[in-house]
Amino acid sequence: MNWFGFILAQCLNALSQASILFFIACGLTLIFGIMRIVNFAHGVIFMLGAYVGYTANVVTGSFLVSLVVAPVVVGLVGMAFERTLLRHLYGRRDGGAYLLLTFGLAVVLSEVIRLIWGVQPLGTGIPDFLRGVVIILDQPFPLYRLFLIGLGVAAAIAIWQFLERARPGLLIRAVSQNSEMVHALGTDVDMVRTAVFGFGCALAAVGGVLAAPLVTAFLGMGTSVVIDAFVIVIIGGMGSFLGSIIGSVLVAFVQVMGAYYFQDLALALMYLLMLLVLIIRPGGLLGKED
Amino acid sequence: MNWRLGFVVTAAACAVLPLVVPQHSLTILVEALILGLFAMSLDLLVGYCRLYSFGHAAAYGLGAYSYALILTYLPLPLPVGILLAVAVTILIAIPIAWICTRSTGVSFAMLTLAFAQLGYAMLFRFRDVTGGSDGLVGIPRHPGPLGIDWFQSKLGYYYLVLVCLLGSYLLCRAIVRSPFGAVLAGIRENEPKTIALGYNTRAYKITTVVLAYGFGGLAGALYAAFAGFASPELFFWLTSGRVLIMVIVGGAGTLIGPILGGVSFVFLEHQLSQVTDLWPLIFGTIFMAFVMFAPQGIWGILTSRFRSKPAAPNSDSGKEAPGAAT
Repeated sequence: MNWFGFILAQCLNALSQASILFFIACGLTLIFGIMRIVNFAHGVIFMLGAYVGYTANVVTGSFLVSLVVAPVVVGLVGMAFERTLLRHLYGRRDGGAYLLLTFGLAVVLSEVIRLIWGVQPLGTGIPDFLRGVVIILDQPFPLYRLFLIGLGVAAAIAIWQFLERARPGLLIRAVSQNSEMVHALGTDVDMVRTAVFGFGCALAAVGGVLAAPLVTAFLGMGTSVVIDAFVIVIIGGMGSFLGSIIGSVLVAFVQVMGAYYFQDLALALMYLLMLLVLIIRPGGLLGKED
Repeated sequence: MNWRLGFVVTAAACAVLPLVVPQHSLTILVEALILGLFAMSLDLLVGYCRLYSFGHAAAYGLGAYSYALILTYLPLPLPVGILLAVAVTILIAIPIAWICTRSTGVSFAMLTLAFAQLGYAMLFRFRDVTGGSDGLVGIPRHPGPLGIDWFQSKLGYYYLVLVCLLGSYLLCRAIVRSPFGAVLAGIRENEPKTIALGYNTRAYKITTVVLAYGFGGLAGALYAAFAGFASPELFFWLTSGRVLIMVIVGGAGTLIGPILGGVSFVFLEHQLSQVTDLWPLIFGTIFMAFVMFAPQGIWGILTSRFRSKPAAPNSDSGKEAPGAAT
């Protein structure tokens, strides 16, 4: 029964990877679904989360505190960016302007991070209470990765319930469908947009804090991640929340299995998956044709 | 004709320039012209079809690696090698263009990015052919045909690049001003309407993507032959990002603007990276400022200042469709 345990360990590994990816992709797809904004800076926001989390961890000595502080700080940064710069582009007919402005933000923000935290990778390691190993079917499995899976599932359910049941979630969905009507009914649509952008950034920051113990916080961690996140969102369908979950799991499986079984092609497999999906369904698995 | 005079004067100035600057500046001049050509090739997509390619590095890398690989196995003269490299780039671009134009907007941007990253990944996959992370080094510039060898010197190579840039500019200018270019403008301004008028816009877009890859491949091949090496960095997404910055800052949809953008980017980078390591921060900020306040770019600002004096009533028409009047 050893091979079964091995495959199970691989699957759990992929799911923990999917959990981190989900935090990034979900924020990206929420921002796009509601504001039609493609946030190219999302990877750098994720990186900022990892760095702020590192500092919070060093100052307070608690991983859980950093898991709260980093999203709040990064969410505020995102809201400030939306208020001061992004807002002025809403009148533009050309959606490409968002892509360009957030690309500029990505360049500037990653330089700012380099100036503040320096070029050395920063790692705090896995927090003590999550450092153990769990034996599953004779295979040792790191507790931290199980924690990631649990947190990812909990977050997915919480966000889904929030969007479906809670009143702010209802408003968010309403804005994505017909913002003018929501505005006419007396809701501050601008505020909803700012909040959604900040919330999306905060989710990416959570991903950053969670990823930091595994890969350390380093310059450039945002680059590969933003491409992963875009691949996920495009596979799942731009703006589809459920799509971002499916996409995260698919991409994580391709990455983990690819790295093990087809080492040569690991880098290319994810892109091949995306091409395949787009050739069959140009709008993504759960997206509308655009 | 006003623009002809401007063209001849600019060409003459560029031809005299290497004779008056010190020898060691030649390298940077050649690089500036090559990047100007590269940025202009992307402008065909960004400025004329509003197709934001985030993977134009693929064209550059394909051109450079094709030239490098061809020259590794065949001792061909330089112009033949470059033409072959462009042909290879165009051939590979056809399926890429076919797939990418299935979608528009963000999906197009990400598909082009995916192809560039796929190329980047392939360089590491086929390490024995491409040299992996070391790239290919020692790419020669063989003389010929007919024993012509003036392009083997640095000065001669400058003139070769200049001729390529000016020739490509004239060709692109003719393309965007032809009926074909008018259809592209239609796609940019209102694609459903253009389809309703009976144009097969997909075919036009495929052709334009292939053309953009062709000119980008030319720039890449010229770079590989000049630098003597091709590295995986050429395929990397940062290369795509930088060239996109050059196009936007220079002025999308004007052809001249992106050339200016590319040239000034190279000069600024060269100057500033010597005195400060904040260069990426500076160009990122400049880029954001242009996106926010001057989407028409440097060339758009220059021409609109110049034009708004005689024709005051129509002065803000350039704001709606940047570069459409150039």
